[in-house]
Amino acid sequence: MGSLSYQERSLWGSLVAELVVYLPYFVLNLHRANSINKVAGTIFSIIVLQIILQSIIAAVTRHRMKDERDRLIQLRGYRAGYLTLASLMVLGLGMLWFHSSRGDFPIHAGFVGLHFLNVFFGMLVISDIVKTVTQIVAYRRAL
Amino acid sequence: MPGLRNTIRELRAERGMTQQELADAIGVTRQTVIAIELDKYSPSLETAFKIARVFGVALEQVFQYEGRRK
Repeated sequence: MGSLSYQERSLWGSLVAELVVYLPYFVLNLHRANSINKVAGTIFSIIVLQIILQSIIAAVTRHRMKDERDRLIQLRGYRAGYLTLASLMVLGLGMLWFHSSRGDFPIHAGFVGLHFLNVFFGMLVISDIVKTVTQIVAYRRAL
Repeated sequence: MPGLRNTIRELRAERGMTQQELADAIGVTRQTVIAIELDKYSPSLETAFKIARVFGVALEQVFQYEGRRK
């Protein structure tokens, strides 16, 4: 970790937080009924864990600066994240149309609402992880 | 890979300057200096001029454009 810049350490911290919080959430809730409270709890957990990890990383890093290369890598990450989110949205809408046309969804407002909550939250999480991983790969490849 | 070659490592060695000292002088991280030295990253024009100014040489003595390489 000694040769890593502050930005890269921060990204590793984010990835650890994302995997620690999101992985159990999706594994445990894969075939169970989801709820607003579970999503809110997950978001709260990731915020708290991020604050703790980022504070530790900031405390142990001497040079906490951001330069032009960091900003370029950040942009690449956000581009990858956006493309992932847009692709998943198109895929999701396509699947919704497909299942709706076959009459697979039971017309039950609560069920459909929670289903969408889970799917869209999942899309956001996947996009966020893709963004973070893209940035880490760029740092590891020197760009 | 960018088609930009540079002599930063040699210029640094001549002056006994570390990567961290150069990074501090031009306002970037040491990792960015490493990436530039390895020709993995082409710096902005502003940073390129700053590097040349730190070494007290012309820009062409630090960076040479060799066209696009694979």
